[in-house]
Amino acid sequence: MSNFDAVESIERICFQGVVQRFRLIQERPDTLREAFAHLFRKQVSYHDFEALKGISFVIREGETVAIIGRNGSGKSTILKIIAGVYRPTTGVVKVSGKVAALIELGAGFHPDLTGRENIVLNGLLLGLTKEDIRSREQQILDFAELGEFIDSPVKQYSSGMFARLGFAIATEVDPDVLLIDEILAVGDAAFQEKCLAKIDDFRNMGKTIVFVSHAPDSVRRLCNRALFIHDGTLYADGRTDDVLANYESILRQTVSA
Amino acid sequence: MWQLIREIQKNRELIWALALKELQVRYKRSALGFLWALLNPLLMMIILTMVFSTVMRVPVHDYPIFLISTLLPWTFFSQSLAYSVESIVSNGDLLKKVYVAKSVFPLAAIVSNLINFLLSMIPLILLLVVFRFPFYWTWLYLLIPFVSLVLFTLGCGFFFAMVNVFFRDMAHILQILLQAWFYFCPIIYSLDFVPARYRPLFRLNPLAYPLNGFRLAIYYGQLPSWQSMGMSLACGVGALLLGYKLFQRSQDTLVFYV
Repeated sequence: MSNFDAVESIERICFQGVVQRFRLIQERPDTLREAFAHLFRKQVSYHDFEALKGISFVIREGETVAIIGRNGSGKSTILKIIAGVYRPTTGVVKVSGKVAALIELGAGFHPDLTGRENIVLNGLLLGLTKEDIRSREQQILDFAELGEFIDSPVKQYSSGMFARLGFAIATEVDPDVLLIDEILAVGDAAFQEKCLAKIDDFRNMGKTIVFVSHAPDSVRRLCNRALFIHDGTLYADGRTDDVLANYESILRQTVSA
Repeated sequence: MWQLIREIQKNRELIWALALKELQVRYKRSALGFLWALLNPLLMMIILTMVFSTVMRVPVHDYPIFLISTLLPWTFFSQSLAYSVESIVSNGDLLKKVYVAKSVFPLAAIVSNLINFLLSMIPLILLLVVFRFPFYWTWLYLLIPFVSLVLFTLGCGFFFAMVNVFFRDMAHILQILLQAWFYFCPIIYSLDFVPARYRPLFRLNPLAYPLNGFRLAIYYGQLPSWQSMGMSLACGVGALLLGYKLFQRSQDTLVFYV
Protein backbone atom coordinates (compact mmCIF):
# COMPACT_ATOMS: atom_id res chain seq x y z
CA MET A 1 0.00 0.00 0.00
CA SER A 2 1.47 3.37 -0.89
CA ASN A 3 0.89 6.74 0.62
CA PHE A 4 -1.29 7.81 -2.22
CA ASP A 5 -3.88 5.05 -1.81
CA ALA A 6 -4.23 5.98 1.82
CA VAL A 7 -5.21 9.56 1.13
CA GLU A 8 -8.85 8.55 0.74
CA SER A 9 -9.04 6.83 4.11
CA ILE A 10 -9.87 8.43 7.42
CA GLU A 11 -7.46 10.28 9.68
CA ARG A 12 -6.38 8.14 12.61
CA ILE A 13 -3.88 10.45 14.23
CA CYS A 14 -3.65 14.19 13.81
CA PHE A 15 -1.07 16.42 15.53
CA GLN A 16 -1.33 20.20 15.16
CA GLY A 17 1.46 22.31 16.59
CA VAL A 18 2.04 19.96 19.50
CA VAL A 19 4.38 21.26 22.18
CA GLN A 20 5.37 19.12 25.13
CA ARG A 21 7.20 20.82 27.92
CA PHE A 22 8.69 19.02 30.90
CA ARG A 23 9.92 20.51 34.10
CA LEU A 24 13.19 18.81 34.78
CA ILE A 25 12.57 16.63 37.74
CA GLN A 26 15.56 17.17 39.97
CA GLU A 27 14.76 20.88 40.12
CA ARG A 28 11.34 20.33 41.58
CA PRO A 29 10.85 20.50 45.35
CA ASP A 30 10.02 16.91 46.18
CA THR A 31 9.43 17.40 49.86
CA LEU A 32 8.07 20.11 52.08
CA ARG A 33 11.58 20.81 53.31
CA GLU A 34 12.74 21.64 49.81
CA ALA A 35 9.61 23.64 49.18
CA PHE A 36 10.38 25.74 52.25
CA ALA A 37 13.99 26.05 51.22
CA HIS A 38 12.82 27.41 47.88
CA LEU A 39 10.49 29.83 49.59
CA PHE A 40 13.29 31.31 51.63
CA ARG A 41 15.96 31.35 48.99
CA LYS A 42 13.58 32.85 46.47
CA GLN A 43 15.68 31.70 43.57
CA VAL A 44 13.85 30.02 40.77
CA SER A 45 16.06 27.08 40.00
CA TYR A 46 13.87 24.92 37.78
CA HIS A 47 13.99 25.08 34.07
CA ASP A 48 11.64 23.79 31.45
CA PHE A 49 12.68 21.44 28.76
CA GLU A 50 10.79 21.32 25.49
CA ALA A 51 10.71 17.75 24.27
CA LEU A 52 8.48 18.63 21.32
CA LYS A 53 8.62 22.11 19.79
CA GLY A 54 5.47 22.30 17.72
CA ILE A 55 4.95 19.17 15.67
CA SER A 56 2.24 18.66 13.08
CA PHE A 57 1.44 15.58 11.02
CA VAL A 58 -1.44 13.38 9.99
CA ILE A 59 -1.45 9.60 9.90
CA ARG A 60 -4.28 7.93 8.02
CA GLU A 61 -5.86 4.56 8.39
CA GLY A 62 -3.78 1.71 7.02
CA GLU A 63 -0.48 3.54 7.11
CA THR A 64 2.59 2.04 8.72
CA VAL A 65 4.77 4.92 9.82
CA ALA A 66 8.20 4.83 11.39
CA ILE A 67 9.43 7.51 13.74
CA ILE A 68 13.19 7.80 13.68
CA GLY A 69 15.64 10.09 15.37
CA ARG A 70 18.42 10.06 17.89
CA ASN A 71 18.04 9.29 21.58
CA GLY A 72 16.18 12.05 23.37
CA SER A 73 14.84 13.60 20.19
CA GLY A 74 11.22 13.17 21.29
CA LYS A 75 10.14 9.95 19.56
CA SER A 76 8.83 8.21 22.63
CA THR A 77 7.11 11.37 23.78
CA ILE A 78 5.10 11.33 20.56
CA LEU A 79 4.02 7.75 21.18
CA LYS A 80 3.03 8.54 24.74
CA ILE A 81 0.93 11.46 23.59
CA ILE A 82 -0.82 9.23 21.05
CA ALA A 83 -1.40 6.64 23.76
CA GLY A 84 -2.94 9.28 26.03
CA VAL A 85 -0.29 8.94 28.72
CA TYR A 86 0.81 12.55 28.29
CA ARG A 87 -1.42 15.46 27.61
CA PRO A 88 0.50 17.98 25.47
CA THR A 89 1.30 21.40 26.90
CA THR A 90 -0.16 23.15 23.85
CA GLY A 91 -1.44 22.06 20.48
CA VAL A 92 -4.21 19.77 19.34
CA VAL A 93 -4.08 16.00 19.19
CA LYS A 94 -6.85 13.91 17.69
CA VAL A 95 -6.73 10.14 17.80
CA SER A 96 -9.63 8.04 16.58
CA GLY A 97 -10.12 4.37 17.33
CA LYS A 98 -8.72 2.04 19.90
CA VAL A 99 -5.02 2.40 20.63
CA ALA A 100 -2.74 -0.33 21.89
CA ALA A 101 0.76 0.56 22.99
CA LEU A 102 3.60 -1.89 22.90
CA ILE A 103 5.66 0.69 24.70
CA GLU A 104 7.08 -1.39 27.47
CA LEU A 105 6.03 -5.00 27.44
CA GLY A 106 4.72 -6.31 30.68
CA ALA A 107 4.30 -2.89 32.32
CA GLY A 108 1.76 -3.59 35.02
CA PHE A 109 2.65 -7.21 35.56
CA HIS A 110 2.62 -8.02 39.22
CA PRO A 111 5.72 -10.09 40.09
CA ASP A 112 3.95 -12.30 42.63
CA LEU A 113 1.05 -13.28 40.40
CA THR A 114 1.27 -16.13 37.94
CA GLY A 115 1.36 -15.62 34.19
CA ARG A 116 -2.25 -16.69 33.94
CA GLU A 117 -3.37 -14.25 36.65
CA ASN A 118 -1.38 -11.48 35.02
CA ILE A 119 -3.09 -12.11 31.69
CA VAL A 120 -6.40 -11.13 33.29
CA LEU A 121 -5.02 -8.15 35.20
CA ASN A 122 -2.96 -6.83 32.30
CA GLY A 123 -5.79 -7.35 29.83
CA LEU A 124 -8.09 -5.29 32.03
CA LEU A 125 -5.45 -2.57 32.36
CA LEU A 126 -5.19 -2.40 28.59
CA GLY A 127 -8.94 -1.92 28.33
CA LEU A 128 -10.22 -5.41 27.57
CA THR A 129 -13.23 -6.83 29.40
CA LYS A 130 -13.13 -10.07 31.38
CA GLU A 131 -15.26 -11.61 28.66
CA ASP A 132 -12.75 -10.61 25.93
CA ILE A 133 -9.88 -12.02 27.93
CA ARG A 134 -11.55 -15.34 28.54
CA SER A 135 -12.26 -15.81 24.86
CA ARG A 136 -8.72 -14.86 23.84
CA GLU A 137 -6.80 -16.62 26.56
CA GLN A 138 -5.96 -19.60 24.37
CA GLN A 139 -4.51 -17.40 21.62
CA ILE A 140 -2.42 -15.55 24.17
CA LEU A 141 -1.11 -18.81 25.61
CA ASP A 142 -0.34 -20.12 22.14
CA PHE A 143 1.60 -17.05 21.16
CA ALA A 144 3.53 -16.73 24.42
CA GLU A 145 4.65 -20.39 24.40
CA LEU A 146 5.40 -20.45 28.10
CA GLY A 147 4.46 -24.07 28.72
CA GLU A 148 4.19 -24.93 32.39
CA PHE A 149 5.65 -21.55 33.38
CA ILE A 150 2.24 -19.98 32.80
CA ASP A 151 1.24 -21.03 36.33
CA SER A 152 4.41 -19.73 38.00
CA PRO A 153 4.81 -16.20 39.38
CA VAL A 154 6.18 -13.92 36.67
CA LYS A 155 9.09 -12.85 38.89
CA GLN A 156 10.62 -16.20 37.97
CA TYR A 157 10.41 -15.48 34.24
CA SER A 158 13.35 -14.61 32.06
CA SER A 159 13.16 -11.23 30.36
CA GLY A 160 12.37 -12.96 27.07
CA MET A 161 9.43 -14.83 28.59
CA PHE A 162 8.22 -11.62 30.16
CA ALA A 163 8.30 -9.86 26.81
CA ARG A 164 6.57 -12.75 25.01
CA LEU A 165 3.68 -12.71 27.43
CA GLY A 166 3.45 -8.92 27.32
CA PHE A 167 3.44 -8.87 23.53
CA ALA A 168 0.86 -11.65 23.36
CA ILE A 169 -1.55 -9.78 25.62
CA ALA A 170 -1.06 -6.35 24.06
CA THR A 171 -1.69 -7.55 20.52
CA GLU A 172 -4.92 -9.25 21.58
CA VAL A 173 -6.38 -5.84 22.40
CA ASP A 174 -7.40 -5.74 18.73
CA PRO A 175 -6.48 -2.10 18.23
CA ASP A 176 -7.13 0.26 15.35
CA VAL A 177 -3.83 1.93 16.07
CA LEU A 178 -0.80 -0.05 17.20
CA LEU A 179 2.14 1.78 18.76
CA ILE A 180 5.46 -0.04 18.90
CA ASP A 181 8.49 1.31 20.72
CA GLU A 182 11.75 -0.57 20.20
CA ILE A 183 10.37 -3.69 21.77
CA LEU A 184 11.96 -5.93 19.20
CA ALA A 185 15.29 -5.49 20.96
CA VAL A 186 14.29 -8.07 23.57
CA GLY A 187 13.81 -11.75 22.96
CA ASP A 188 15.62 -14.17 20.71
CA ALA A 189 15.62 -14.20 16.93
CA ALA A 190 12.68 -16.61 16.76
CA PHE A 191 10.56 -14.34 18.94
CA GLN A 192 11.53 -11.27 16.91
CA GLU A 193 10.53 -13.05 13.73
CA LYS A 194 7.22 -13.99 15.33
CA CYS A 195 6.58 -10.42 16.39
CA LEU A 196 7.39 -9.09 12.93
CA ALA A 197 5.01 -11.66 11.44
CA LYS A 198 2.29 -10.54 13.84
CA ILE A 199 2.91 -6.91 12.93
CA ASP A 200 2.66 -7.90 9.26
CA ASP A 201 -0.72 -9.45 10.03
CA PHE A 202 -1.89 -6.17 11.50
CA ARG A 203 -0.66 -4.32 8.45
CA ASN A 204 -2.46 -6.68 6.12
CA MET A 205 -5.65 -6.14 8.09
CA GLY A 206 -5.31 -2.44 7.27
CA LYS A 207 -4.55 -1.31 10.81
CA THR A 208 -2.54 1.82 11.49
CA ILE A 209 0.90 1.23 12.94
CA VAL A 210 3.36 3.72 14.39
CA PHE A 211 6.78 2.24 14.88
CA VAL A 212 9.75 3.68 16.77
CA SER A 213 13.04 1.98 16.07
CA HIS A 214 16.75 2.44 15.69
CA ALA A 215 17.07 -0.54 13.40
CA PRO A 216 16.96 0.66 9.76
CA ASP A 217 16.29 -2.88 8.55
CA SER A 218 13.07 -3.32 10.51
CA VAL A 219 11.98 0.17 9.52
CA ARG A 220 12.58 -0.57 5.83
CA ARG A 221 10.81 -3.87 6.08
CA LEU A 222 7.70 -2.60 7.86
CA CYS A 223 7.13 1.03 6.94
CA ASN A 224 6.46 2.92 3.75
CA ARG A 225 6.61 6.30 5.43
CA ALA A 226 8.93 7.72 8.02
CA LEU A 227 8.98 10.79 10.24
CA PHE A 228 12.41 12.05 11.22
CA ILE A 229 12.31 13.84 14.57
CA HIS A 230 15.31 16.01 15.37
CA ASP A 231 15.57 18.11 18.54
CA GLY A 232 11.83 18.08 19.06
CA THR A 233 10.96 19.22 15.56
CA LEU A 234 9.75 17.30 12.54
CA TYR A 235 12.83 17.40 10.33
CA ALA A 236 11.63 15.24 7.49
CA ASP A 237 8.47 13.39 6.52
CA GLY A 238 8.27 11.19 3.49
CA ARG A 239 9.12 7.83 1.92
CA THR A 240 11.12 5.59 4.20
CA ASP A 241 14.18 5.35 1.96
CA ASP A 242 14.50 9.10 1.46
CA VAL A 243 14.03 9.90 5.12
CA LEU A 244 16.42 7.18 6.24
CA ALA A 245 19.08 8.52 3.86
CA ASN A 246 18.51 12.00 5.26
CA TYR A 247 18.75 10.66 8.81
CA GLU A 248 21.94 8.76 8.14
CA SER A 249 23.61 11.78 6.60
CA ILE A 250 22.71 13.92 9.63
CA LEU A 251 23.99 11.18 11.88
CA ARG A 252 27.31 11.11 9.99
CA GLN A 253 27.61 14.90 10.17
CA THR A 254 27.23 14.99 13.94
CA VAL A 255 29.61 12.12 14.42
CA SER A 256 32.32 13.78 12.34
CA ALA A 257 31.69 17.25 13.80
CA MET B 1 -19.42 13.59 40.36
CA TRP B 2 -21.08 12.04 37.33
CA GLN B 3 -17.61 11.74 35.93
CA LEU B 4 -16.62 9.56 38.89
CA ILE B 5 -19.69 7.35 38.58
CA ARG B 6 -18.99 6.91 34.87
CA GLU B 7 -15.37 6.03 35.54
CA ILE B 8 -16.35 3.45 38.14
CA GLN B 9 -18.95 1.98 35.83
CA LYS B 10 -16.48 1.78 32.97
CA ASN B 11 -13.61 0.33 34.99
CA ARG B 12 -15.51 -1.79 37.48
CA GLU B 13 -13.90 -5.03 36.34
CA LEU B 14 -10.44 -3.51 36.57
CA ILE B 15 -11.06 -1.98 40.01
CA TRP B 16 -12.38 -5.30 41.27
CA ALA B 17 -9.42 -7.21 39.83
CA LEU B 18 -6.93 -4.74 41.33
CA ALA B 19 -8.63 -4.96 44.73
CA LEU B 20 -8.58 -8.75 44.65
CA LYS B 21 -4.95 -8.65 43.54
CA GLU B 22 -4.16 -6.53 46.58
CA LEU B 23 -5.73 -9.15 48.87
CA GLN B 24 -4.29 -12.04 46.91
CA VAL B 25 -0.77 -10.65 47.19
CA ARG B 26 -1.28 -9.90 50.88
CA TYR B 27 -2.24 -13.46 51.70
CA LYS B 28 -0.39 -15.36 49.03
CA ARG B 29 2.15 -17.92 50.21
CA SER B 30 0.87 -17.85 53.79
CA ALA B 31 -0.28 -21.30 54.86
CA LEU B 32 -3.71 -20.10 55.97
CA GLY B 33 -4.16 -17.77 53.02
CA PHE B 34 -7.42 -15.89 52.86
CA LEU B 35 -8.44 -17.23 56.28
CA TRP B 36 -6.23 -14.48 57.73
CA ALA B 37 -8.82 -11.92 56.72
CA LEU B 38 -11.09 -13.55 59.34
CA LEU B 39 -8.44 -14.67 61.81
CA ASN B 40 -6.78 -11.32 62.09
CA PRO B 41 -9.79 -9.39 63.44
CA LEU B 42 -10.86 -12.43 65.48
CA LEU B 43 -7.53 -12.65 67.27
CA MET B 44 -7.47 -8.90 67.78
CA MET B 45 -10.91 -9.11 69.39
CA ILE B 46 -9.84 -11.97 71.64
CA ILE B 47 -6.85 -9.99 72.85
CA LEU B 48 -8.93 -6.87 73.47
CA THR B 49 -11.54 -8.90 75.32
CA MET B 50 -8.96 -10.53 77.53
CA VAL B 51 -7.26 -7.25 78.30
CA PHE B 52 -10.40 -5.32 79.09
CA SER B 53 -12.25 -8.00 81.04
CA THR B 54 -9.36 -9.07 83.27
CA VAL B 55 -6.33 -6.79 83.25
CA MET B 56 -7.88 -3.39 82.80
CA ARG B 57 -11.47 -3.08 83.92
CA VAL B 58 -13.38 -0.20 82.45
CA PRO B 59 -16.64 0.85 84.09
CA VAL B 60 -18.61 0.28 80.88
CA HIS B 61 -20.56 -2.93 80.57
CA ASP B 62 -19.37 -5.23 77.78
CA TYR B 63 -16.56 -2.82 77.00
CA PRO B 64 -15.00 -5.05 74.29
CA ILE B 65 -18.17 -4.76 72.23
CA PHE B 66 -18.41 -1.06 72.98
CA LEU B 67 -14.86 -0.69 71.66
CA ILE B 68 -14.99 -3.06 68.70
CA SER B 69 -18.23 -1.59 67.32
CA THR B 70 -16.25 1.55 66.40
CA LEU B 71 -12.79 0.08 66.13
CA LEU B 72 -13.69 -2.02 63.07
CA PRO B 73 -15.00 0.92 61.00
CA TRP B 74 -12.02 2.98 62.15
CA THR B 75 -9.63 0.25 61.04
CA PHE B 76 -11.30 0.25 57.64
CA PHE B 77 -10.85 4.01 57.40
CA SER B 78 -7.23 4.14 58.52
CA GLN B 79 -6.11 1.12 56.50
CA SER B 80 -7.84 2.46 53.40
CA LEU B 81 -5.99 5.73 53.70
CA ALA B 82 -2.68 4.01 54.39
CA TYR B 83 -3.14 2.06 51.15
CA SER B 84 -4.54 4.80 48.99
CA VAL B 85 -1.94 7.43 49.90
CA GLU B 86 0.68 5.31 48.12
CA SER B 87 -1.62 3.99 45.42
CA ILE B 88 -0.78 6.50 42.68
CA VAL B 89 2.91 6.83 43.46
CA SER B 90 3.50 3.08 43.64
CA ASN B 91 1.83 2.61 40.25
CA GLY B 92 3.77 5.50 38.74
CA ASP B 93 5.80 3.30 36.43
CA LEU B 94 2.65 1.87 34.97
CA LEU B 95 0.95 5.26 34.60
CA LYS B 96 3.93 6.50 32.58
CA LYS B 97 3.52 3.71 30.06
CA VAL B 98 -0.14 2.88 29.70
CA TYR B 99 -3.17 5.10 29.73
CA VAL B 100 -5.35 4.08 32.66
CA ALA B 101 -7.95 6.14 34.49
CA LYS B 102 -6.01 7.31 37.53
CA SER B 103 -8.94 6.97 39.89
CA VAL B 104 -8.88 3.16 39.70
CA PHE B 105 -5.87 2.94 42.03
CA PRO B 106 -7.26 4.71 45.12
CA LEU B 107 -10.61 3.06 44.40
CA ALA B 108 -9.06 -0.41 44.31
CA ALA B 109 -7.13 0.29 47.53
CA ILE B 110 -10.35 1.20 49.27
CA VAL B 111 -12.38 -1.67 47.81
CA SER B 112 -9.82 -4.20 49.02
CA ASN B 113 -10.10 -2.81 52.54
CA LEU B 114 -13.85 -2.75 52.22
CA ILE B 115 -13.80 -6.49 51.60
CA ASN B 116 -11.65 -6.92 54.71
CA PHE B 117 -14.03 -4.74 56.68
CA LEU B 118 -17.09 -6.73 55.65
CA LEU B 119 -15.31 -9.98 56.46
CA SER B 120 -14.38 -8.65 59.90
CA MET B 121 -18.10 -8.39 60.68
CA ILE B 122 -18.21 -12.19 60.86
CA PRO B 123 -15.93 -12.47 63.91
CA LEU B 124 -17.85 -9.55 65.44
CA ILE B 125 -21.10 -11.50 65.12
CA LEU B 126 -19.33 -14.49 66.63
CA LEU B 127 -18.23 -12.36 69.55
CA LEU B 128 -21.79 -11.14 70.13
CA VAL B 129 -23.02 -14.73 70.16
CA VAL B 130 -20.32 -15.82 72.63
CA PHE B 131 -21.08 -12.85 74.91
CA ARG B 132 -24.84 -13.51 74.56
CA PHE B 133 -25.11 -9.90 73.56
CA PRO B 134 -28.46 -9.01 71.96
CA PHE B 135 -28.77 -8.27 68.24
CA TYR B 136 -30.75 -5.08 68.04
CA TRP B 137 -33.06 -4.35 65.15
CA THR B 138 -31.03 -1.16 64.71
CA TRP B 139 -28.46 -3.26 62.80
CA LEU B 140 -30.69 -2.51 59.82
CA TYR B 141 -29.82 1.12 60.21
CA LEU B 142 -26.08 0.42 59.86
CA LEU B 143 -26.42 1.12 56.15
CA ILE B 144 -26.40 4.88 56.77
CA PRO B 145 -23.19 5.13 58.81
CA PHE B 146 -21.69 2.55 56.47
CA VAL B 147 -22.43 4.54 53.32
CA SER B 148 -21.30 7.77 54.99
CA LEU B 149 -18.06 6.20 56.10
CA VAL B 150 -17.30 4.76 52.66
CA LEU B 151 -18.00 8.11 50.96
CA PHE B 152 -15.85 9.95 53.48
CA THR B 153 -13.04 7.43 53.06
CA LEU B 154 -13.19 7.74 49.27
CA GLY B 155 -12.94 11.52 49.50
CA CYS B 156 -9.96 11.37 51.84
CA GLY B 157 -8.38 8.58 49.79
CA PHE B 158 -8.49 10.66 46.59
CA PHE B 159 -7.13 13.66 48.45
CA PHE B 160 -4.16 11.92 50.04
CA ALA B 161 -3.31 9.85 46.97
CA MET B 162 -3.07 13.01 44.89
CA VAL B 163 -1.26 15.23 47.38
CA ASN B 164 1.33 12.51 47.95
CA VAL B 165 2.29 12.69 44.28
CA PHE B 166 3.37 16.30 44.67
CA PHE B 167 4.56 16.17 48.29
CA ARG B 168 5.97 12.82 49.29
CA ASP B 169 5.95 13.95 52.92
CA MET B 170 2.21 13.36 52.91
CA ALA B 171 2.56 9.62 53.52
CA HIS B 172 4.54 10.33 56.70
CA ILE B 173 2.29 13.14 57.83
CA LEU B 174 -0.70 10.86 57.33
CA GLN B 175 0.70 8.26 59.73
CA ILE B 176 0.94 10.79 62.53
CA LEU B 177 -2.36 12.37 61.57
CA LEU B 178 -4.13 9.01 61.81
CA GLN B 179 -2.68 8.39 65.26
CA ALA B 180 -3.91 11.72 66.53
CA TRP B 181 -7.24 11.29 64.77
CA PHE B 182 -7.75 7.92 66.44
CA TYR B 183 -7.76 9.52 69.91
CA PHE B 184 -9.83 12.45 68.70
CA CYS B 185 -12.56 10.00 67.60
CA PRO B 186 -15.03 8.42 70.01
CA ILE B 187 -13.53 4.93 69.74
CA ILE B 188 -11.97 3.97 73.08
CA TYR B 189 -14.33 6.42 74.81
CA SER B 190 -17.70 7.86 74.02
CA LEU B 191 -18.59 11.52 73.69
CA ASP B 192 -20.42 11.40 77.03
CA PHE B 193 -17.07 10.93 78.77
CA VAL B 194 -15.82 14.22 77.39
CA PRO B 195 -16.33 17.27 79.65
CA ALA B 196 -19.31 19.22 78.37
CA ARG B 197 -17.37 22.35 77.51
CA TYR B 198 -15.03 20.44 75.16
CA ARG B 199 -17.79 18.53 73.45
CA PRO B 200 -18.44 21.11 70.69
CA LEU B 201 -14.82 20.70 69.66
CA PHE B 202 -15.28 16.97 69.23
CA ARG B 203 -18.38 17.59 67.14
CA LEU B 204 -16.16 19.23 64.53
CA ASN B 205 -14.75 15.82 63.73
CA PRO B 206 -16.58 14.57 60.63
CA LEU B 207 -15.67 10.96 61.43
CA ALA B 208 -17.37 11.12 64.82
CA TYR B 209 -20.82 10.96 63.21
CA PRO B 210 -20.58 7.68 61.29
CA LEU B 211 -18.52 6.04 64.06
CA ASN B 212 -21.12 7.03 66.60
CA GLY B 213 -23.78 5.63 64.29
CA PHE B 214 -22.04 2.24 64.32
CA ARG B 215 -21.83 2.20 68.09
CA LEU B 216 -25.42 3.30 68.66
CA ALA B 217 -26.77 0.63 66.33
CA ILE B 218 -24.58 -2.28 67.46
CA TYR B 219 -23.95 -1.56 71.14
CA TYR B 220 -26.81 0.61 72.38
CA GLY B 221 -29.53 -0.55 70.03
CA GLN B 222 -30.55 3.05 69.44
CA LEU B 223 -31.04 5.28 66.47
CA PRO B 224 -29.05 8.51 66.28
CA SER B 225 -30.87 11.80 65.91
CA TRP B 226 -31.88 12.96 62.46
CA GLN B 227 -29.31 15.75 62.67
CA SER B 228 -26.58 13.27 63.39
CA MET B 229 -27.57 11.03 60.46
CA GLY B 230 -27.78 14.07 58.21
CA MET B 231 -24.39 15.32 59.33
CA SER B 232 -22.89 11.90 58.80
CA LEU B 233 -24.12 11.67 55.20
CA ALA B 234 -23.34 15.32 54.48
CA CYS B 235 -19.75 14.91 55.65
CA GLY B 236 -19.38 11.83 53.48
CA VAL B 237 -20.74 13.48 50.35
CA GLY B 238 -18.85 16.71 51.03
CA ALA B 239 -15.55 14.93 51.49
CA LEU B 240 -16.01 12.95 48.30
CA LEU B 241 -16.93 16.03 46.27
CA LEU B 242 -13.92 17.97 47.52
CA GLY B 243 -11.46 15.08 47.36
CA TYR B 244 -12.48 14.00 43.88
CA LYS B 245 -12.53 17.57 42.58
CA LEU B 246 -8.92 18.03 43.61
CA PHE B 247 -8.00 14.65 42.20
CA GLN B 248 -9.61 15.44 38.87
CA ARG B 249 -7.88 18.79 38.63
CA SER B 250 -4.43 17.26 38.83
CA GLN B 251 -4.90 13.92 37.14
CA ASP B 252 -3.57 15.10 33.78
CA THR B 253 -0.35 16.52 35.16
CA LEU B 254 0.48 13.94 37.80
CA VAL B 255 2.15 11.64 35.29
CA PHE B 256 5.03 14.13 35.08
CA TYR B 257 5.64 13.92 38.82
CA VAL B 258 5.28 10.26 39.77
